[in-house]
Amino acid sequence: MAKLTIDGKQIEVPDGTRLFDACHEARGEALPHFCYHPDLSIAGVCRLCQVEVEGMPKLTIACNTTVRDDMVVHTRNERVQTAVKQILEMHLINHPVDCPICDQAGECGLQDQYMDYGLYESEIEMGDKVNKEKAQVIGPHVILDKERCVLCSRCVRFCEEITKTGELGIYNRGDRAEIGTAPGVELDNNYSLNTVDICPVGALTSRDFRFQKRVWMLRATPSICPGCATGCNVRVDHEGGRVYRLKPRRNDDVNGPWMCDSGRMIYKDVHAEGRLGSALVRRDGGLESLSWADARRELLGMLKPGSVAFALADPSLSLEELVLFRRLARRLAGEVQIAGGVAGDGLGEGDEILLSSDRRPNRHALSWLDLAEVAPADLAAALEGARGTVLVLGGDPVAHLEVAAALKGVRLVYLGTRHNATAAAADLVIPLSMWPEKDALWANKQGRIQRGQRAVAAPGDAREDWRLLVDMLGHAGDDLDLAGLPALRRFVAQELGLADEDSLNRLPAAGLVPDVAVASPGSAPTGGE
Amino acid sequence: MSYKGLPEVVTTRKRSFWESAYFVEIFKGLVVTGRHVLKNLRHTDEMPTIQYPDQKRDYGPRFRGRHRLTQRDDGSPKCVACQMCSTVCPADCIEIEAAEHPNPAIEKFPETFTIDLLRCVYCGLCEEACPCDAIRMDTGIYEIAADTREAFIVDKEFLLNNDKDGTL
Amino acid sequence: MLPVILEALLKIIFFFILIMGFVVVLIWGERKGSAFIQDRTGPNRASIGGIRLAGLVHPVADVFKLLFKEDVAPSQRHPFLYAFAPWLGMVVAMTTYTVIPFGDFLQIGDKVYPMVVADLEIGMLFVLAISSLATYGIALGGWASNSKYTFLGSMRATAQMVSYEITMGLALMGLFLVFGSLRLTDIVGGQGELIWGWLPKWGVVVQPLGFLLFMGAIYAETNRTPFDMSERDSEIVAGYHTEYSSMKFALFFMAEYAHMVVAAALIATLYFGGYQIPWLPRPVLEGHAGPILTGLLVAGGLCSIWIGTLYFRRARREKGWYNDAREREPGVLGTAAVVGGLVMLGSLLLQPWNIGAGGGSIFVSLIQTGAFIGKLVFFAWLFIWVRWTVPSFRYDQVMHLGWKIMLPAGLVNLVVTALWLAAVHR
Ligand code: SF4
Ligand code: SF4
Ligand code: SF4
Ligand code: SF4
Ligand code: FES
Repeated sequence: MAKLTIDGKQIEVPDGTRLFDACHEARGEALPHFCYHPDLSIAGVCRLCQVEVEGMPKLTIACNTTVRDDMVVHTRNERVQTAVKQILEMHLINHPVDCPICDQAGECGLQDQYMDYGLYESEIEMGDKVNKEKAQVIGPHVILDKERCVLCSRCVRFCEEITKTGELGIYNRGDRAEIGTAPGVELDNNYSLNTVDICPVGALTSRDFRFQKRVWMLRATPSICPGCATGCNVRVDHEGGRVYRLKPRRNDDVNGPWMCDSGRMIYKDVHAEGRLGSALVRRDGGLESLSWADARRELLGMLKPGSVAFALADPSLSLEELVLFRRLARRLAGEVQIAGGVAGDGLGEGDEILLSSDRRPNRHALSWLDLAEVAPADLAAALEGARGTVLVLGGDPVAHLEVAAALKGVRLVYLGTRHNATAAAADLVIPLSMWPEKDALWANKQGRIQRGQRAVAAPGDAREDWRLLVDMLGHAGDDLDLAGLPALRRFVAQELGLADEDSLNRLPAAGLVPDVAVASPGSAPTGGE
Repeated sequence: MSYKGLPEVVTTRKRSFWESAYFVEIFKGLVVTGRHVLKNLRHTDEMPTIQYPDQKRDYGPRFRGRHRLTQRDDGSPKCVACQMCSTVCPADCIEIEAAEHPNPAIEKFPETFTIDLLRCVYCGLCEEACPCDAIRMDTGIYEIAADTREAFIVDKEFLLNNDKDGTL
Repeated sequence: MLPVILEALLKIIFFFILIMGFVVVLIWGERKGSAFIQDRTGPNRASIGGIRLAGLVHPVADVFKLLFKEDVAPSQRHPFLYAFAPWLGMVVAMTTYTVIPFGDFLQIGDKVYPMVVADLEIGMLFVLAISSLATYGIALGGWASNSKYTFLGSMRATAQMVSYEITMGLALMGLFLVFGSLRLTDIVGGQGELIWGWLPKWGVVVQPLGFLLFMGAIYAETNRTPFDMSERDSEIVAGYHTEYSSMKFALFFMAEYAHMVVAAALIATLYFGGYQIPWLPRPVLEGHAGPILTGLLVAGGLCSIWIGTLYFRRARREKGWYNDAREREPGVLGTAAVVGGLVMLGSLLLQPWNIGAGGGSIFVSLIQTGAFIGKLVFFAWLFIWVRWTVPSFRYDQVMHLGWKIMLPAGLVNLVVTALWLAAVHR
């Protein structure tokens, strides 16, 4: 442990700590900085994190200094302030200051530092500035404005150290130096948008988000990316009922500060064409939309205990929904005819960084709940000759041709979010909410339960899905009584056999890896027949 | 009359006999108002009333009238869709959708720009916030009328050529 | 029999037209007068073909507006009384006129017609009895609407009426003592005399305190400011007629002005000599009927032509102000005035100075009616003038004034008058 004094405050930090982090801890806020990033190597190029260390003749940069015992450090004295101000002025010499059209405005390091440390009158005429290329598309997701770059090299280091693809580099010298890609090279790795996140200014911006919204108008809701079994922690930025972008949230146990590009784009499904807005019922061969009250009556009428031949839930449902589904399915049908997803659905290619080959956010929970996957051929065989209702929650099993062929003679009830093959083949379609539209728990591939909060309202008639399931349960004769989310989470904890009933209501920030006995039997359904 | 614990704030003067006799005071009042009647009968033209649609008040050059969007030399809006105005607007009545401008030197421009004149409180914060001098309230137009609520939501084309007075 | 009915009918029609005309003009006068008192221009927009008559077209437009407006009525009303109340107010106001003389008599040939619809023995008592019925209009209207504001309005009106009716009666008793009759024609006739040969024996001269009390009481009786307890907008919305709309509201509205006309006529009749012109009793006027008529015609003609030229000057000045039909107005009015003046002057050709005895008598009757109407107009204007000059009383002040000041004063006035008369007649 090293004891040091920062701005007159004594603190004790482990040996080998960076002075930058020690100052952050002592001051309660970070030093001004552009190039330092805790997950990247030290570059020490922006020179903004200047501090005065007693005994050293010159100011020094905190990010490249390791703490020593008895260090006496000043971060706010006149000398440091002047230095920071002058360095900032240097950064801004050739900066175009086109904040009005810059997407970074509002979350820009330059703007923040200027307001905190700058506030000087510029001595540079606009005409004297060195002009570089603006609005250059450098990849499928990223657009580069070379004028705005402060050459902190974060993006270069990211591509070298994290993705190890090395597309970006700094070319030329002096005030001609600029970020760029080699001729013929594109910044097209699946993590390219992280460079946009770490770029402290508006040099690298997202093509997808470009000009969509000013960032200060957005509201942020913490959530979990449903794109794959990794379960990256994300922030849903939304406004007026519309999701505009996803940003990663730091969770060092899951995704660190990063997330992949395909995950970032997944929000588009929420507002894409083909969302189910109202319930549909088959009449005279075609699907007609139905009011919610009628749809509910129709749904409850179709689900009589014993009348359900097969119940299938996709692991894209949340943990609560899967738990309720299991209970409902057990009540309506015999155990053999329940399955959790179609084997082989939702698999893709993964990589070593974050993306998992399992593209379902909740497949891990299936094993907890003893919901086996069913192969398409087995599903087809089970449906062949079956009588009664087939209940499908989420997913798209009918996309498998053999399943589609086996559907004759059964009534298909589909609760889902999209107009897909299953919806087209169903006799009754009930719209569900998608992931940013509900407060839900997800179990990632580590078995870590994480919570995503509700950011926007679902379109049309879709409701809180768990309430719909409880409603169906009640109609099936179950006297399960869940007043609200805390009660629901307690019920889920019971079903999983967790020691602490309230543990799911008090999830730690990093999520909870519970000690679940594999294939928890769950409670027996209660209530009279 | 005074209330316990409260200081006597209003002090009433004692009225003299003739004042409380009331009729004398009424008569004095009648003389005052009567003088006004006679004056106005004789000099009807000098009444302070402005006969509104026929006569109009001249407002100062800084009067905040209906908004307009200033134009570049080619007639396109100067606005770069930075949305400073819609951010600062206390009535939240400016809606802007930005888009990529074909000219890379301009980069960003408003695809749509609407102001709900019914919601606007004519505070002038939008023109003050604009970094590009793109929105101004110097038209001097204050007669803003329309038959439907929708007509008060004016679009970019209207704001670019906003010089006609009267009904929307 | 028939001529009697016909005669009564003609007089009734005369009064009806007089009152309705006055109501329209008074509504206009109220708006225009209040405007001028407050340095505004008042109504000046409505026009018929550009002729606005300083806003006189507005009441006409108002009538049409009110006729065609939806009649919104509260669902919990008492249906019959709700509809009946406005009529009651109007009918009462009209009935009171029957006993008010607007001239002494009209002699056509050998026949002499008294210029009053019904010359009742009980005259003034009839007026008091009927006019107190007006409270029923207000009380019923407020109660039948079944709303707390209207109810408050009618309660106030009733209380106020009860308080001030007494004062009014006491004030009038002094007058009855002086003139020795309840018959209004007698009272007016008595006011034609002179005291000491130069002072007209008007009610206001012989009963100054009584006059003031009567004035106050009659203002309260008509619910006019400063006694507008029953319709104080700032306290009880619009008082008793809050729930009325369309023509029913218009009836209440007109009844208020009709009451004003009655009140003005009563003040003129009881205290200002009615149709009497001071120092010019009927014989004097009849003796000089020819010259007076000639003088009036010449003066009227010249005035009219002068007014016409003023209008023409205005027409020149206002050219290009409006660029619409309104520009025609001064020209049209000016032409009308000049033509009227020329007609008056032209009638000199008929030798009006040779009017003769029969014509002279008719002419004098007309002049006396004119004098009555002139007095009536002044007192009606006084109502408006007072309303836009003084603030209204608080409710407790109204009660204080009525019971503790005016009632004792009325008693004192009665006693003093009686003692004085007793002393004089001893
Ligand atoms: S990078 Fe920052 S300072 Fe530069 S234009 Fe963009 S918002 Fe403004
Ligand atoms: S583009 Fe952004 S991250 Fe990259 S060097 Fe420039 S400022 Fe830094
Ligand atoms: S004048 Fe004020 S209220 Fe109106 S648009 Fe501008 S900022 Fe908004
Ligand atoms: S502030 Fe000016 S430039 Fe920015 S969006 Fe508004 S009008 Fe356009
Ligand atoms: S943060 Fe230390 S030099 Fe950039």
